[in-house]
Amino acid sequence: MLTFNNLLNNFWKLIPIFFLLVFILPLFFVLSSLFGEFNDNWSHLIEYVLPKYVSNSLILIFGVAILSLILGVGTAWFLTNFDFLGKSWLEWAIILPLAIPPYILAYTFTGLFDSYGSANEMIRYLFNLESDFIFFPNVRNIYGAIVVFSFTLYPYVYLTTRMAFLNQSRSLMEAGKLLGNSNRLLFFRLAVPLVRPAIIAGLALVIMETLSDFGAVDHFAIQTFTTGIFRTWYGMYDLSTAMQLSSFLFIFVAIFIFLERFERRRMSYSYANSTFKKTDSSSLEGFKNFFAFLFCFLPLFIGFILPIIELLNWAVFFPSENFLSNNLIATLLNTIFLGVTAGIICSIFALVINFLKRFHKGWLLGFSSQLLSLGYALPGIILAIGIINFFSFLDKNFLNLFFEVTLLGSLIGLMLAYVIKAYALANNTIESGFQRINFSIDDVSLSLKKSKFDIFFKIHMPLMKTSILTSLLLVTSEVIKELPATLILRPFNFDTLAVTTYIYASEERMYEAASPAIMIVLIGLIPIIFLSKIIRDSRPGS
Amino acid sequence: MFINLNKSLATFIVLALFGGLGYSSEINIYTSRHYDSDSKLYSDFKELTGIEVNIISAKSSALIERIKSEGKNSPADIFITVDAGNLWKVQDLGLFTNIKSKKIDEIVPAKLRGANNEWIALAKRARVIFYNSAKFSYDDLKTLNYEDLNSPRWKNKIVIRSSNNLYNQSLVASMIANYGLAYTEKWAKGLVNNFARKPQGNDRSQIIAVANNEADLAIANSYYLGLMLSGKKGEKQLNAGKKVKILFPSQNKNGTHVNISGAGILKTSKNYANAVKFLEFMLTEAAQKHLVENTYEYPINSKVVPSMLIAQFGLDFIEDDVDVSNFGKFNSAALKLMDRVGWQ
Repeated sequence: MLTFNNLLNNFWKLIPIFFLLVFILPLFFVLSSLFGEFNDNWSHLIEYVLPKYVSNSLILIFGVAILSLILGVGTAWFLTNFDFLGKSWLEWAIILPLAIPPYILAYTFTGLFDSYGSANEMIRYLFNLESDFIFFPNVRNIYGAIVVFSFTLYPYVYLTTRMAFLNQSRSLMEAGKLLGNSNRLLFFRLAVPLVRPAIIAGLALVIMETLSDFGAVDHFAIQTFTTGIFRTWYGMYDLSTAMQLSSFLFIFVAIFIFLERFERRRMSYSYANSTFKKTDSSSLEGFKNFFAFLFCFLPLFIGFILPIIELLNWAVFFPSENFLSNNLIATLLNTIFLGVTAGIICSIFALVINFLKRFHKGWLLGFSSQLLSLGYALPGIILAIGIINFFSFLDKNFLNLFFEVTLLGSLIGLMLAYVIKAYALANNTIESGFQRINFSIDDVSLSLKKSKFDIFFKIHMPLMKTSILTSLLLVTSEVIKELPATLILRPFNFDTLAVTTYIYASEERMYEAASPAIMIVLIGLIPIIFLSKIIRDSRPGS
Repeated sequence: MFINLNKSLATFIVLALFGGLGYSSEINIYTSRHYDSDSKLYSDFKELTGIEVNIISAKSSALIERIKSEGKNSPADIFITVDAGNLWKVQDLGLFTNIKSKKIDEIVPAKLRGANNEWIALAKRARVIFYNSAKFSYDDLKTLNYEDLNSPRWKNKIVIRSSNNLYNQSLVASMIANYGLAYTEKWAKGLVNNFARKPQGNDRSQIIAVANNEADLAIANSYYLGLMLSGKKGEKQLNAGKKVKILFPSQNKNGTHVNISGAGILKTSKNYANAVKFLEFMLTEAAQKHLVENTYEYPINSKVVPSMLIAQFGLDFIEDDVDVSNFGKFNSAALKLMDRVGWQ
């Protein structure tokens, strides 16, 4: 018999699945290009440019993966386990580079390190050198790009890893210590292997964002797979081949992610013992103290302080009256509104999906959730094209039949686009949060006749506070920085800070771009500082 | 400030949650020209006519895709873009309607309009050669042609930006239109051999490279020097700008490569009459004056003279009068050619 409870259960299950499927449809608009004709441009691409695109992209992601792993995991380890010089402020400042979009760092890098850039000029001035003396190496190459991506994106690895380190059972670590392991052995043999899912979750975001970036690699004139996609579309006027290229990029990332999951399918990373002891950080002395400080300060310096100095330099010497006079408040409000709303929607959505995944072992939910996450790897503008097609399809076939309105070019449409684009950020964080909650907690609660509703709100939510906040923070700061989709899907006369920055930066009018770019950073800082305080304070067991 | 605040709140809550399908007494413009100075023109137009101007600015290709996808529902009345190739592409897709206006026909020369007035030019720019006046005199270079840029004389001496750039694609497309594929490919190969460095940066960084003697010749758009000399870009660029001069190449051949910013009215426009009014306005002396004084492009209205900052380098140069639609037609061929010769 169909009881009310039964219906409710199924309703709960069906609604999110419905939404998930709707959100995935734009991806299918992109992937459907694979069923179209592969035209002559392919033979040109394969013969002349594709090998270069692929090898450059691979070098780029390997470099970025290794460097951001070192930065992200290293800083997380130091900041969770040790006391050292400057730790109290580094602990919240370490994620500030999240507020700097990679393309902005790329622009400031060339502003600083080009032959006649500010940094080289300063060296010449300080040491009274000839005007053709060039101290810093050229950054407009693949190594420069690796540095740019790693130093802006490592916070993704830091955040997920740190969360996992914090939740890591202290007793396990102490057991390891009692058995005579050095800190180094603890790190490599115990701590890191145990938090592998969290590291991978962060790293996946880094790799996907690196692959989808156009702004920074274009500025450095590096031919990557993504710049190839754009050349094909803009230069050959061939959107279908561009979509096919994007689909292959998507499939490449999908295989990579699914292989990783498959490889650890039988391992469980939740702990049998859920009683946590408060972390006791041990103090570092002497050289180690200074090294830890340097290790954590360097990424902050390169990824945040340096670009801010250069942006301020531009903004102060070349004030942009236009930006300050044109609807600054409206633009600010737009940006905050979109960021926060998208953050809330994405987080709730990811929470519900992942909660349901815990109790329903079917493959559909997990698979479609994973698929939607992969949208993050698509270049934003290609995803936006999928969304345009999808929205105009809905507009023509449904909405326009009843109303004089459209989804395309509306705020609701824009919001949907953000959910599709940024779901990965929410999902990766919240999924790895759920993974660390022991299943026996659920079993015990169920046996005590608690409803799933209660489990969700009274047990999971409090345990997941850090994950939820992190998810909010990541989505909000991503949306604040988001460009290509906003640019093409926004309503008339609707600007965000990223749009304003881009409009200048796209013409490389960086002086004018500096003021809105600084605003992005400042706005991005509010949630980051606020949340990093909460994250810092929310150690289990404290 | 408060008006803005209220307006934006209202936008949030009521109007923009869903997009509308079109209103009267306003025009909707999709533009890929991101110039601050353009917004002054929009507000002037509103003051003059009472017609509200709504703007979405984005990349040209993405806007075209949006128009295509919106179909007959598209709220867009006017599409404004830089590069004739983009205009040709929209025309080729059949998205433009013919612009019927005596005023416009009188001002815009036929070669700067679509065959059936599908689009019109609003401003011109030339892709020219910049040289350091401390190193070369005008007489050294006055006979220089694009066609000579592959000569061994310029080995490791030329800077130009990457082939991702539309202006370069159009330049190569114009060469293909004038000389055919085989000649152009050989020429481009020689040019790439003469590059002083891997293509990088924007047009202005090429000009700065010449000012700093990192290279002898830079190929870039004319108006960039105007921007640098205006002082709006700071002391450093002003000083660099003072060191260089413009050379209009190919004066003894086909003339200097000229490209346009332009606009067209979309077939699905619901405000055709207002859209025509707007384009007429953009060609008035006042609007053209404002354009050339701020963007340093060349005017379309012959009664207006270019900004002095750019006019000082000469106005009576011979323009390559190849049909600008060719930039669109041969764009793909140009890009592939640049791939083949290794122009990054």
